[in-house]
Amino acid sequence: MSHDPIAELLFSEPATPSTANWRPRADVYRTPGGWLVKLDLAGVRPADVTVTLSGSSLTVSGCRRDWLLEREWDHVQMEIAYNCFERRLDLPGEPGSCRVSTEFRDGFLMVRVEPER
Amino acid sequence: MAERESDKALDRETPVGAVHVLAVVPMKQTVLYPHVALPALVGRQASVEAVKAALATEEKTLVVVAQRDPGQDEPGPQDLYTVGTRAVLKQMTRSPEGMRLLLVGIERVAIEHWEQTEGFLRARVRVLPTPADVGPEVEARMRAVMDLGRRVVEIVQPDAQVDVSEMVARNADPLQVAYVVASLLPLPGEQGQRILEADTRLEALRLLNESLANEIRVLEIRKEIAGQAASEMSKSQREYVLRQQLRAIQAELGEGDPQEQEAAVLRERLEKADLPEHVRKEAERELSRLERLPPAAPDYQMTRSYLELVLELPWKAAEPAEIDLGKARGILDEDHFDLEEVKDRILEDLAVMKLNPGAHAPILCFVGPPGVGKTSLGQSIARALDRPFERLSLGGMHDEAELRGHRRTYIGAMPGRVLQAIRRAGRRNPVMMLDEVDKLGRGFQGDPASALLEVLDPAQNGTFRDNYLDLPFDLSQVVFITTANTLDTIPRPLLDRMEVLRLAGYAREEKVAIARRHLIPRRLAEAGLKPEQLEIPDDTVARLVASYTREAGVRELERLLGRIARKVARRVAEGTASSVRVLPADLQELLGDERFLPEEARQELLPGVATGLAWTESGGEVLYVEAALLPGGKELRITGSIGEVMRESATAAQTWVWSHAKELGIDSDRFEKAGVHLHVPAGAVPKDGPSAGVAMTTALASLYTDTPARRDTAMTGEISLAGLVLPVGGIKEKVLAAHRAGLRRVVLPEGNRRDVKQIPDEVRRDLEVVFASRIEEVLETALTRGVREARARS
Repeated sequence: MSHDPIAELLFSEPATPSTANWRPRADVYRTPGGWLVKLDLAGVRPADVTVTLSGSSLTVSGCRRDWLLEREWDHVQMEIAYNCFERRLDLPGEPGSCRVSTEFRDGFLMVRVEPER
Repeated sequence: MAERESDKALDRETPVGAVHVLAVVPMKQTVLYPHVALPALVGRQASVEAVKAALATEEKTLVVVAQRDPGQDEPGPQDLYTVGTRAVLKQMTRSPEGMRLLLVGIERVAIEHWEQTEGFLRARVRVLPTPADVGPEVEARMRAVMDLGRRVVEIVQPDAQVDVSEMVARNADPLQVAYVVASLLPLPGEQGQRILEADTRLEALRLLNESLANEIRVLEIRKEIAGQAASEMSKSQREYVLRQQLRAIQAELGEGDPQEQEAAVLRERLEKADLPEHVRKEAERELSRLERLPPAAPDYQMTRSYLELVLELPWKAAEPAEIDLGKARGILDEDHFDLEEVKDRILEDLAVMKLNPGAHAPILCFVGPPGVGKTSLGQSIARALDRPFERLSLGGMHDEAELRGHRRTYIGAMPGRVLQAIRRAGRRNPVMMLDEVDKLGRGFQGDPASALLEVLDPAQNGTFRDNYLDLPFDLSQVVFITTANTLDTIPRPLLDRMEVLRLAGYAREEKVAIARRHLIPRRLAEAGLKPEQLEIPDDTVARLVASYTREAGVRELERLLGRIARKVARRVAEGTASSVRVLPADLQELLGDERFLPEEARQELLPGVATGLAWTESGGEVLYVEAALLPGGKELRITGSIGEVMRESATAAQTWVWSHAKELGIDSDRFEKAGVHLHVPAGAVPKDGPSAGVAMTTALASLYTDTPARRDTAMTGEISLAGLVLPVGGIKEKVLAAHRAGLRRVVLPEGNRRDVKQIPDEVRRDLEVVFASRIEEVLETALTRGVREARARS
């Protein structure tokens, strides 16, 4: 294994500071009842996700593990980011004390943040 | 929504001391640091197997370790360092060379035990702590690293996407900075490994700093050498090779060295040329310089063109040609109708030149409206003198260097236009016409008018020094003729150096004669018609002048005649006519509707309106001055794009009328209770000058005495507060304008009596000219009932 200029060209990405974590994409909605955050977390086991709310900062972190592991199968190409992810989002406004609920649907993780009255 | 990605949101590191069992990929040259992305190509069988094993795990992680010896192709555990980096596989594609990977380092690990060495390496690793020491020294080291790092990155990867200073601005971890800078450098494996193994930030930064300082020296020297070699070698070698080829081709063709030939030709010309001593000396100096220069030198072409200029300039005076005054008179008369005064003046100058050939040539300035023949008069003079004619247009010229040249130190320097004209003429005494001297521009690159001063000053132009030539050249034998439409915009010092000859506009009868004698024959010849094929009688031309043109000169008239000639030529060529006589009634068909109604005087004048006469650059014009009371107002209001002088003139007129109210029989109530408004149409045309004073006074007197002015009477003249009528300019144009408008009487200042000589007899026959020295005389003539009557009535 070597440091190869052709590879550099191919990936055209010289060494840059980066985190090994990947960042799932997110949509944030303001709903009548509070907030809804939708994250693109296809392939992640619900058990591998942690959601924490601290003030107005919502952190969704976890790990995507490749569960498609078969004997005598060989990877030819890999583009999906595995391993740890983390996404930190600032909810607009001051949520105060909230109820947080999650639901997985068709590869999206829906995080509902609803202030308690 | 604001989104905040914390810089400290680093990877989920496993706790220090945590143990993993992972596949190991050895690296030949590179060290992978935590939080740094690294593209890599994996080709070795053992490495490919290791990556495959990593891909077969849920988390796609592996350990990257550097080899101690980059040359080792099948490294075993003993060939590897014991500290590596746990990394996650971000991307993988297969290619014929192997696997292309994108790896991102997570954390430092120490290899504790080799679990497997067959097929590929697998090891048990323990996570090492991340150095987190702080302190001023760490800070100082980091800054030094940043400075050096930036320079190195600029040399090694000029288009790298990492801005080191930007990273620091984002408060990046000092260690992170060190890792990124280290991975951007082509550091020898051992140095990179030591930075990875460093247990404190300080140590890592110190090591990096050392390597950087060293690296930067090496890189700079290497870059310098490479740059020098590339430019010097290629340039001189190329030139040498090309030159050899050129020699070979010339030898083949039996030619000598073109440079030597060129220099030899110039030397031959220099020896033959009849040059003054100081010029020859300068030329010799330049020529010997040229002979030493390689032709590729930038100076070579410049020196050559300079020498050519020196050789081509007419340094020595030509044999003065015999001037035949009779023949000159004949030429002037042949080319130009009338213009007696100007022709006399020119013949006088010719006579002086004939008697004293060494005298300074005259410097004339022809002033007149467009199309009166200023330029062609210059050509006739050149013909009469049998000298070359050169024309420079100065209109809009705003760079002094255009006249006087650029100094030879500038690239693309050229001699000035004056000297170029002399070179073209090939004689030292041409007739040089400087057209549009009133439209000289003025820019930031000097004032060309001031440069002209030197050219036109008889005391200085004997030793005119062009910046390019840089040798005095004698311009005193050049007959300079400048032309202008107006004298107002010519700088005073420039005007002082010239003799001004005015060419006024032409009357209708003169235009008819000019058309008959010059324009029609010329246009017929241009259209290829014989005189018998097209006849344009005088009354047709008169109609053309009156209804299709409005100009002081004959330019538009000539264009129209040309159009008629072309249309007739077409008929003749098509065979539909063999000879045409154009009657006034045919003009509509040939040229379309009449463009101008003859300038009709107003049929009726109300009290408060007077007919004035104005001079413009394109001839004279009739204008009306209108006055009206402003009930309840106090002021004098003046409108109609009036200039400062005309405004003052209006105020003087008002003062005179008010102060002579009693004599004029005006009830003083009329101006105590009301202001007055003076207006001069057309409102959009700017007007200035004092010559409307008389007309404005008449308008005011007419208004206050309620007596209309005579509608057949036009007037011009400046007025003084004492009631004097002072002479003004442009009499001929003004009287012609009055005549064109069908007016029958003209009131002129007594002081202009001598100008009436210029007015053609046909015009004077139709007009009654009244001279006045006082405004009362004007009012007597111009008002319908006269002042005395008005007074008697009141």
